[in-house]
Amino acid sequence: MSEERGGRGRGGKKDDKGKGGDRPRGGGFFRRRRVCKFCADKIDYINYKDVRLLSPFIPERGKIQPRRISGTCAKHQRALQTAISRARQLALIPYVTD
Amino acid sequence: MSQNRQYELVYIVSPDASEQDIADLHTQVEQIVQRFNATLDKTENWGRRKLAYEIGKAREGTYVVETITGSGELMKEIDRRLRVTDTIIRHLIVRIDDAIRVADRLRDQRKATQARRRVARGLPPEPSPSERRGDRDMEDVDDIGMEGTEQR
Repeated sequence: MSEERGGRGRGGKKDDKGKGGDRPRGGGFFRRRRVCKFCADKIDYINYKDVRLLSPFIPERGKIQPRRISGTCAKHQRALQTAISRARQLALIPYVTD
Repeated sequence: MSQNRQYELVYIVSPDASEQDIADLHTQVEQIVQRFNATLDKTENWGRRKLAYEIGKAREGTYVVETITGSGELMKEIDRRLRVTDTIIRHLIVRIDDAIRVADRLRDQRKATQARRRVARGLPPEPSPSERRGDRDMEDVDDIGMEGTEQR
């Protein structure tokens, strides 16, 4: 068992890469379980006009947050992509921010 | 069938345009829609809004959203007209009927599954408002993860 560290809180950043559903093994180490926001909130249609809905997925720089960080499922990430592109075209969201 | 597609049209009117200009644009769209025997379902005016980036020289604009049921030909014509209108700085046409259909189907499916499972457990198909699970926020889940409260 490699995870004998038993430390609390977050371990190294490298551990982020594991699958979301990983069970905690051994000691008190607990990997943050990532849940797709759209699945959890049962949002069927990602509306491109809803900036409040999209903004959590756009970090400072204006890029789209990758799935591995936000935890969005593949299906919803795809829908999110289109929604963000549309919102960008309408100048609701910036393309880039420096 | 092809006549009954639903589209969403969003256009941004230049900040220099007056209220009258905006009203005129709306009637223009309405006229085209009528000429094609289509229907204008809904109009929404968001008012003046700051743009996320400059378009030309404009820093803000008036957003108007129109929901139209009609044919592709109609939208093509509207697209062409908006393109040549100087007061409109940006516009976007999106077909939404299929997306709405998908969303409806997913919702119905979910409801059906829930009802079936509830009946199987000997409960009434619809949950009463009191037994609904509390809306646990994403943040709560995160907090648990960070404190490492999972103990075995």
